[in-house]
Amino acid sequence: MTPDLDLVPFVPELVLVAAAIVGLLYEALARGPRYPVHLAVALAGIVVASGATLALWRYGGDPTVLAGAIATDRLAVLARLTVLGAAFCGLLLGTHAIERDPAAARGEFFPLLLFATTGMTLIVAAADLIVVFLALEVLSLSLYVLTGLPGRRAASEASLKYFLLGAFSSAFFLYGVAMVYGATGTTRIPEIANALVGRTGEQGLALLAAALLLIGLGFKVSAAPFHMWTPDVYQGAPTSVTAFMSAATKVAAFAALIRVFDVGLQALRWDWTPLVAALAAVSVVLGSVLAIAQADVKRMLAYSSVAHAGFILTGLTASNADGIGASLFYLIAYSAMTIGSFAVVGVTTTRGEDRTDLDAYRGLYRRDPHLAAAMALFLVSLAGVPPTAGFIAKVGVFGAAIGAGYVWLALLGVLASVAAAYVYLRVIVLMFMVEPEEALVSDPAPLPRIAIAIGAAIVLVLGLFPGLVTDLVRSAAVLRW
Amino acid sequence: MLSEYLPIAILAALALLFAVGSLVASGLLRPHRPTPVKLSAYECGNDPVRLPRGERFSIRFYVVAMLFIIFDIETIFLFPWAVAARELALFGLIEIAVFIALVFVAYVYVWKKGGLDWAGGSLTPIEAEAASEAPGPREEVGIRAG
Amino acid sequence: MRTPIAWFVMLSGILFALGSLGVLIRRNALLIFMSVELQLNAVNLALVAFARMHNALDGQVLAFFSMVVAAAEVVVGLAIIVAVYRRRQTVDVDDARELRW
Repeated sequence: MTPDLDLVPFVPELVLVAAAIVGLLYEALARGPRYPVHLAVALAGIVVASGATLALWRYGGDPTVLAGAIATDRLAVLARLTVLGAAFCGLLLGTHAIERDPAAARGEFFPLLLFATTGMTLIVAAADLIVVFLALEVLSLSLYVLTGLPGRRAASEASLKYFLLGAFSSAFFLYGVAMVYGATGTTRIPEIANALVGRTGEQGLALLAAALLLIGLGFKVSAAPFHMWTPDVYQGAPTSVTAFMSAATKVAAFAALIRVFDVGLQALRWDWTPLVAALAAVSVVLGSVLAIAQADVKRMLAYSSVAHAGFILTGLTASNADGIGASLFYLIAYSAMTIGSFAVVGVTTTRGEDRTDLDAYRGLYRRDPHLAAAMALFLVSLAGVPPTAGFIAKVGVFGAAIGAGYVWLALLGVLASVAAAYVYLRVIVLMFMVEPEEALVSDPAPLPRIAIAIGAAIVLVLGLFPGLVTDLVRSAAVLRW
Repeated sequence: MLSEYLPIAILAALALLFAVGSLVASGLLRPHRPTPVKLSAYECGNDPVRLPRGERFSIRFYVVAMLFIIFDIETIFLFPWAVAARELALFGLIEIAVFIALVFVAYVYVWKKGGLDWAGGSLTPIEAEAASEAPGPREEVGIRAG
Repeated sequence: MRTPIAWFVMLSGILFALGSLGVLIRRNALLIFMSVELQLNAVNLALVAFARMHNALDGQVLAFFSMVVAAAEVVVGLAIIVAVYRRRQTVDVDDARELRW
């Protein structure tokens, strides 16, 4: 008995795992300076996996393969490409951090980053809740270790907090999976949808499951009130890891949320959309308000990430192709902005001690005009000012929410955006209008600048010519099952 | 239905009776002449060095325990395969071989990184780092029991 | 006489609630972690009970995966806790205040 094996939609993950294992063995067996080889192996893995993912855009086979474990739709392709792009930039930033401080460097960074990426690309394509859970754990466990890898006090503390709260949320997610299984007798997401569609009467178990799954995924996307870990982890983790996970984890967890809720629990959407709307409202308000109080730029960006999770959830209240498309566009735009801004933070913190306090940005324009201009672009985009990607993305999610009848949520989002604009403008004023107080020099290293340039290009292109990707996003938002 | 449990209850009562009875009987019958040597804790015929309160486990036990757990639990997947090995035939054999190969990669990594070295040899890189940073002597590197 | 499935599910709910409570009120990282393990075992109980209710094996397979993931979590978690202990000679989460705003 040989199961029907169509491995083609699974090739990206196979490539990434293979590259990670090669890296792990190389780390164990090789002697001497290793980083060039590590970087080459990891880059090759990511590039080949991206190629394999691109080829899946025109995949014509079944909606799910491997006994219903892997979905082959375009949501999986687009989300995977975003994750892989984030991994590429994270790799560049991480290599730069290693070059800067070879004593604290660990070769395990590369395989761990690849394992985390594998978990993320797997979760966006997972069509079976078992696979969703496994992928969630693969990415989470890798990220816990990546966070604590430098072994400094702040990093190990961040790692502990991330681990304890992450394990707590995973338990909620898994209990939700168990409840779904109890209610429907299956863990395959399309079959769950079919089992729930025709059902009338008692839905208690399924509703409990929806709530538990939302809590579990809410932690991972750092939506308030499940955001407590976010500022500590974003601040304590190495900046390269923060950049990678702030973008890629959000994409991965949101893609999983879209598939679980908009496919599996579609029949219950009148019950869960108010919950999503509540999470969205709390996240945008709390994230925007608390960001104002921060004196550390990494914490500020962390709270901003909570607010942005709220904006993406705002789009998902629509629970239709419009909402999913708007959220996907937002995820792509947000990935570019957040990686770019953390990359700037990574370059500004150099010269010995870490400088992540806002004072380090005083007069950055005088010291390094290009860097200041790029940071300003990212901050303007995070604030949602035209003509940047952040503006188009916000218009999209607010439009979707209004279309679904959540006018109050869209209004709240606009108000929170205005309040949050102060946070970003404050940094821009510091960079451009204040004289530098110390003779700090920013790091001229090329690798992070590549990541910054990629982010800036995406933010500008998506802001000026959103039409280039709207078709792609629209076709990815149509879920096949 | 309760009568099914009656033999267990009788057995438990007998065991309790025997244990308490022996202790009480020996306490009543034996002569009672304490000396300081008799009252001290017995430690292999040597004079006790110190009381075992506040003792610390070596951190190495934790490393061994972690490695044991992870490799032990992997065998969970061998059982379902063993049950269905005949039906799965060659396909199942290849799959389980891939699985074991992956576990073996982890084993090689642990081995080469010094995770399997016990005391005697040189410190592993991880332990050396911990020893250099932890305040106090090396014995302090550990988690207090209990 | 077969024990009703609902009893197992109720027991699992109680265990899960106890685990959640433990996470929230304990201050020692190891005990918090043990509470999370209790939650995961509550999930396993529910899965096996549901598998029996549906007369299918999926639930047991899922329980296997959850056990393996729990083991992996134990290893990573213990490693992190030991690393933190080496830094600061305590695993009390209230002492973890390096990162505050």
